[in-house]
Amino acid sequence: MIDAPQTLSLILILGSALGLAWLISPYLARVYRRTPSRFDRVLIPIEHGIYRLLGVDSGHVMGWKEYFLAGVLVNVVQMALAFLILTSQGFLPLNPQGFPGLSWDLSFNTVVSFATNTNLQHYAGESSLSYLSQMTAIQFLQFTSAATGMCMGIAMVRGFVVGSKDMGNFYVDFVRTLTRILLPFCFIAALLLVALGVPQTLGGYTSVTTVEGATQSILVGPVASLVAIMQLGTNGGGYFGANSAYPFMNPSQITDILEIGLMLLLPTALLFVFGELLGKKREVRPFLIGAYGLFIIDLAIAFIPTTPLGLGIETRIGGFMSAFWTVVTTAVTTGSVNTTLVAMHPLVILSAFMGMLIQATPGGKGVGLMYMMMYIIITVFVVGLMSGRTPEYLGIKITSRDVKLVMLAFLVHPIIILIPTVVAYASGAVAAIGLGGGAVGFTQVFYEFTTSAANNGSDFLGTLANTPFFNVSTAMVILVGRYAPIGILMALGGSMIGRKRSVVSGLKTESFTFSIVLIGTILVLVVLTFFPFLALGPILSYFQGNVNGFG
Amino acid sequence: MENSKPNYRPVVGLAVLSLVICGLLFPLAITGIAQVILPFQANGEIVQLNGHSVGSSLIAQGFNSPKLFHARASNQSASGVDPDIPLSDALLQVPRISSATNIPSTTITSIVNGNVEGTIWIFGSPYVNVLKLNLILIEANPTVYQNLTF
Repeated sequence: MIDAPQTLSLILILGSALGLAWLISPYLARVYRRTPSRFDRVLIPIEHGIYRLLGVDSGHVMGWKEYFLAGVLVNVVQMALAFLILTSQGFLPLNPQGFPGLSWDLSFNTVVSFATNTNLQHYAGESSLSYLSQMTAIQFLQFTSAATGMCMGIAMVRGFVVGSKDMGNFYVDFVRTLTRILLPFCFIAALLLVALGVPQTLGGYTSVTTVEGATQSILVGPVASLVAIMQLGTNGGGYFGANSAYPFMNPSQITDILEIGLMLLLPTALLFVFGELLGKKREVRPFLIGAYGLFIIDLAIAFIPTTPLGLGIETRIGGFMSAFWTVVTTAVTTGSVNTTLVAMHPLVILSAFMGMLIQATPGGKGVGLMYMMMYIIITVFVVGLMSGRTPEYLGIKITSRDVKLVMLAFLVHPIIILIPTVVAYASGAVAAIGLGGGAVGFTQVFYEFTTSAANNGSDFLGTLANTPFFNVSTAMVILVGRYAPIGILMALGGSMIGRKRSVVSGLKTESFTFSIVLIGTILVLVVLTFFPFLALGPILSYFQGNVNGFG
Repeated sequence: MENSKPNYRPVVGLAVLSLVICGLLFPLAITGIAQVILPFQANGEIVQLNGHSVGSSLIAQGFNSPKLFHARASNQSASGVDPDIPLSDALLQVPRISSATNIPSTTITSIVNGNVEGTIWIFGSPYVNVLKLNLILIEANPTVYQNLTF
């Protein structure tokens, strides 16, 4: 259990993140509405220069298919560019340590993982990636995957806005997300991180002689610029293999709290942006109460045990903040870790699973919003069935096609998590990397595919999973887990355009009661779907008495 | 909506341009600014003793001498390079250092207590930075530690 000061610190951190998210949400909404702003004098010439260079007509509007396809194609070319850089880094500049190119399967896994906001890492950056790769493969994709997720989420919302005729223009949204949100926010965050001790240099690793005469290599690099976007963009892939446990990525208690705040900021702000764009701020309530209600349930599960400072936990961070970070990072599917997952109590891991399986607590930026919309439509449908009335959301009649779409989107995850987990065991791939069949090994393999499907990225296996089977299978799971639900939910948003709306809404989705029903529906859906696997993994591990984590 | 097929120019152009802006211009700009205004932090907080670089205050070293504070063993932390130890661990090491150096344990204890980090109001629990403590001890007692240093 947690004590009073810890509870107060939780309330303060979450309260500040929520408050800040609320404060920036009108600005974000203006970016996507293309409302004139005071930054236009500087940014409009730059943006128009970019549109001219790319041959983009900024007045052109897209339907959901064109918008989605444009995003996917841009992502594919970005993956190809990063793939070329990773495989040929040995011949490229900014490689003071002289690292050779990565294998094709590891490069494939890495670019797929980063271009989709997953950031599953089967490599350790400090011992395998050049500065150029860290910048132009890893950090580059962290920016673009974040921008892609935000654009898709916003485009889906546009479909629900009264009187909307289109989904917007992907290229324009993408450019404006970078120039007006991600780059300026990361600029501030990166310099703040440097001031607090995160390195930012292109000089090679520094060699020092210790007071005892030993030689030590200090592994520096362009770390701060990467950490800013990895947390703010809910990416999670670290510069170092130890991720945010490594002191250069997270030097103190202050940076730990700052980075938790960065993770929560955009996913939460986008919930408010939904209300802004819709013009009905009360409709944010089910999103917000649903997301944070479930998040508090996750926290309650994680804090049943106390996590003391011990093996696998950093002194400056401590057990409490390590467990808290583990819940936050899975709730927003960032996937950065400031501890070793094996040090975490099975109940903390169970809570992490909940975050990744629900994906909307509040989930990744943009995508979390889409998943919560999916759950809301399902709940509206279920409530409609129970009350015997035609299900309506925002005055729009929910048709059987809508319900089929959201159920399809929901079913993607069980399929791509449960089947590959079984295949990994049946094919001998698990035994090949020396993992057993007990609750501990099962949890680690189940976690690997869950984190891939949820585009989260933290994992137990790390470089252990750098085998062709895991590199390719997780990459496939990542691709389907990212693009299938987004595509389906874009189709849902697109189908809302031009629909008739009734003036008197039967179901009050802004009511507190609806939010409670929503939370219940999500829990029933997710827990029923995944319970057998959760029972064989973290729950069994808990009852086997692994109280000090997964040894 | 007349043209519903995305053509290749914006697709390839946007991919390349985003690489240049996000992957090159952004980190290079941050590097340039950080190197000018925050060079100590930007280069990894390298600390010096008598003009020599002896380590980073953020990265642990495996001190072995009984005259110095020892860090956690490398496999005990998540990073393997945890530079800090809990205050209680530091205080446990005071008698050993005192008997190896003949520095009064009260002096060492007061150095430890004077360099506690990690708590801000209600957040965190007290810890000390091992390298920082050792450098304070060495600088205050150059003769005791002369065999260790350059």
